[in-house]
Amino acid sequence: MKKAFAFGFLAAMTAFAARADSYPQRPITMVVPFAAGGPTDVIARIVAEPMSKVLGQQVVIENVAGAGGTTGITRASQSAPDGYTIMMGHMGTHGAAPALFKGLKYDPAKSFDPIGLAAGTPIVIVAKKTMAATDLKGLVEALKSGGSSINQAHAGVGSVSHSTGVLFDSIIGAKPTLVVYRGTGPALNDLVAGQVDFMTDQIVNVAPQIAGNTIKAYAIATPERSPSLPNVPTTKEAGLPDYQVSAWNAVFAPKGLPEDVRKKLVDALDAAVKDPNATKRILELGGTVPKTEEAGPVALQKLVESEVARWTPVLRSAVEGSNP
Amino acid sequence: MPDLVSNLGLGFSVALSLQNVALCFLGCLVGTLIGVLPGVGPIATIAMLLPITFGLDPVGALIMLAGIYYGAQYGGSTTAILVNIPGEATSVVTALDGHQMARQGKAGIALGTAAIASFFAGTVATLLIAALGAPLTQLALIFGPAEYFALMVMGLAFAIVLAHGSVLKAVAMILLGVLLAVVGTDLETGQERMTFGFSFLTDGVDFSVLAMGLFGVAEILRNLDSTETRDVMRERIGRLLPSFADLKQATPATLRGTAIGATLGILPGNGAVLGPFAAYTIEKKLAKDPSRFGRGAIEGVAGPESANNAGAQTAFIPLLTLGIPPNAVMALMVGAMTIHGIIPGPGVMTKSPELFWGMIASMWVGNLMLLVINLPLVGVWVRLLKVPYRLMFPAILMFCSIGIYSINSLPTDVIMIGFFGFMGYLLIKFGFEPAPLLLGFVLGKLMEEYLRRSLTLSRGDPMVFLERPVSAVLFIIAFAIVAAALLPSLRKSRDEVFTEA
Amino acid sequence: MDGPLDGAQRRRGVVRAPQSLVAGIGLILLGLFGIWASSDLEYGSLRAIGPGLMPFWLSLGVIACGIALAVAGFTHDGAPLQSFTLRGPVVVILAILLFAITIRPFPFGGITTPGLGLIVAGPLAVIVGGYATHEARFLDLVTLALLLTAGCMILFGDLLNLPIPIFPNAVVQALTGTIPARTMLRIAAGALALFGLLLMLLQRRSHKRGTVDVARHSLTT
Repeated sequence: MKKAFAFGFLAAMTAFAARADSYPQRPITMVVPFAAGGPTDVIARIVAEPMSKVLGQQVVIENVAGAGGTTGITRASQSAPDGYTIMMGHMGTHGAAPALFKGLKYDPAKSFDPIGLAAGTPIVIVAKKTMAATDLKGLVEALKSGGSSINQAHAGVGSVSHSTGVLFDSIIGAKPTLVVYRGTGPALNDLVAGQVDFMTDQIVNVAPQIAGNTIKAYAIATPERSPSLPNVPTTKEAGLPDYQVSAWNAVFAPKGLPEDVRKKLVDALDAAVKDPNATKRILELGGTVPKTEEAGPVALQKLVESEVARWTPVLRSAVEGSNP
Repeated sequence: MPDLVSNLGLGFSVALSLQNVALCFLGCLVGTLIGVLPGVGPIATIAMLLPITFGLDPVGALIMLAGIYYGAQYGGSTTAILVNIPGEATSVVTALDGHQMARQGKAGIALGTAAIASFFAGTVATLLIAALGAPLTQLALIFGPAEYFALMVMGLAFAIVLAHGSVLKAVAMILLGVLLAVVGTDLETGQERMTFGFSFLTDGVDFSVLAMGLFGVAEILRNLDSTETRDVMRERIGRLLPSFADLKQATPATLRGTAIGATLGILPGNGAVLGPFAAYTIEKKLAKDPSRFGRGAIEGVAGPESANNAGAQTAFIPLLTLGIPPNAVMALMVGAMTIHGIIPGPGVMTKSPELFWGMIASMWVGNLMLLVINLPLVGVWVRLLKVPYRLMFPAILMFCSIGIYSINSLPTDVIMIGFFGFMGYLLIKFGFEPAPLLLGFVLGKLMEEYLRRSLTLSRGDPMVFLERPVSAVLFIIAFAIVAAALLPSLRKSRDEVFTEA
Repeated sequence: MDGPLDGAQRRRGVVRAPQSLVAGIGLILLGLFGIWASSDLEYGSLRAIGPGLMPFWLSLGVIACGIALAVAGFTHDGAPLQSFTLRGPVVVILAILLFAITIRPFPFGGITTPGLGLIVAGPLAVIVGGYATHEARFLDLVTLALLLTAGCMILFGDLLNLPIPIFPNAVVQALTGTIPARTMLRIAAGALALFGLLLMLLQRRSHKRGTVDVARHSLTT
């Protein structure tokens, strides 16, 4: 009884404290739904640093990995919408997840207050060194005529290379045999060794191999060429304008933030992605920083809705009709 | 050759700057101290400590990280020896004989041997990386999925030899381990396997959780049952460092372990995990009296420990030369590097030679540091064994809980160590050994992946395993090992086959 | 894995190795459980092995081992069943569970436990867990719990800056804006350590013997 009273009292104080318009008063936890050291984690850490400066409180990264990122996002979505728990969502957790996880406990478009896009990492179409095709058109022809004799690598159902890869196949109308790896590392290794023929993956993973000339890059799926791979044409230049895809990372908060808190977070993120040091580091990784029209919560909400609509049919049919 | 000397010269000039030596020392120390927490292995340690390196310059950060890595690796072996809780797959084997030695009052000798064997292996492996890193990488590319599958099968064959009791029970444990490994989301189809709808099982069972439960908690439960064993351990503390005779006995094992570990470590498909198992098997096979193994044989510590450390170092080869992380620890290193704006790959060696060679030189410095830090610490660790068990085990329990929680921030992981602890206790009660189960678990996951991948690539033709020469040879070795393990026991009176424990 | 049978009585009967028999039966049950649990998965073909193939064959393998062991229980002499004690496992697992559900809010059916943080979960685990043995002494355990928790708070929370909850959620929220989190952590850890040391001193005085006996030795043997 005493306890219940104490909790009631504390809850009342909490409400009072939250209303005091001096947010933030203590460190903010940013849940990263992947293990430390992965691309999303790296971007979260790069962005968290300038955010902390703007907010005047430390933004602490908490890695809660599991189930393609949905474990961490589920947990963060259920925490109090007080601005002290935010999360770094990405293409998988807020785009592909509804198609892949039946019992998903959140709705990417409805369970969150979007804060804004943090960074994107472009997708590159790469193939083994001995692939005969000289340009993307040639590769597409080879993939179409090769049918199931072609081997396409990916890093597991729900991974970026899987989603973007099956999207690529459905656009060009190819049906290669899918070869699954646990993570990008082993997949790349077999691509370098020529065990598999091609794959699509994030630039940060494949850039060193392209630079080292151990694999071939055919196109980058962004509107503009990347400064880290200036010789690789865009898909538009190479004749496949429909294939536009990037692994994006964006900050979300649980639904129901107080308006002033939400605004502070949006401003902090905005300042963070414009911070010259953060921008430089994101670009070094081959990533892209959001353009003016992509930044902010409104654009992010639109992005999430369009991504869910885009991935759901592609992934549903891919998962049902895996290798013959 | 002159190249090598000048490169190493450059490397040492970087690694031996006051700041970098200090960072290396700090990394090794912190890594050891965290890694020594029960069940917290290198992966968990690096994940925990990664953020503290963010403020440093790239070279310093990488040197410190490498230090943390070796420290954690070594700290994990310390825990395996002292309290029988391996923090990662590779120290499972060290726990077998190392902990037995500790129980016989030879904890200091076991720890000292492990430190010295590790240092030797680390030195050799560093030289190997410096001299042959680039060409060796090409060799590694010969290994395709079929070869890896064969390698894993061979590893499971080792697991049978690992057990010192009934072969039948060992086989059952291996199968059970592989069965546990398939729990979770299927990689190819994304379907959930045997998760019973629990969301915490969708990623399968974590190695640290299983190891901490089966070894750590189960060991506590068993010790609570029997008062005698733990008192023996407490009363007798003999020498603190290995004698000359001990070292002499351990030397051949160290040499072989180094060679095996270094070779397997180069393979990008996580071959390093097999190193200690392979080394142990070979030592047991070569020994005049194999029955000493599992009862505190010094070779059973020296061989696997040197293989472990050599493999840990040569695992950097695929990372530094190809930019491809061969295992989870190396994937974390990639993350650490990218955070500092360095994307590991073939370019690193030419673009920033001071970083590349500095890191290689710091590997050796790190190994030296470990020796410097750990030999004096042996006394401290051994003294810990004198704490009365009634106080020791609640402390271990708390450290296990905090450690496992801090890896993924999941309370369900903590609950799972309780579950596996009870399971491990039952297994011990029925005369099963947990080590083969853990090995089956580690290799099972990889084995299934490689099997399915090879068959996908060969379009369903199982002959692929025999047509490729490397894979065929590995299968023959695996077969020979199993036959060698089974035949003597079949010849023995049949009672012993089933009940010798 | 079934509970123990009365091994001593069956030893002289038809069963010659009760441990093997029970272990075998346990394995068979585990194998059957595996087959049942994976029965919803497809086996696929050699060309594209389905997710259910490995679990099925592995379970069969476990059953085969189980049968062989169980048969050996009738045909060969072997070890009797070992005695079980319930106190150790029950108390230790209880302690682990308590830690898990108190460290952070844990949804448990309809209710959610309050997240109490390390400062409560840690001592709880140590003190409850300590009672797994008959030799447990309350004051010793409290001392140990206070000192260990203080150490872990400083190590994990302060030095390593890990996002492990230290204080109860309600306290954190209530104190927001009054003291910086770090300061609060240090003060609390200091207080715990102080209490722990005081307790230790008091006990020293009453027992004349320390709780921790320090060995005397040097590195040179």
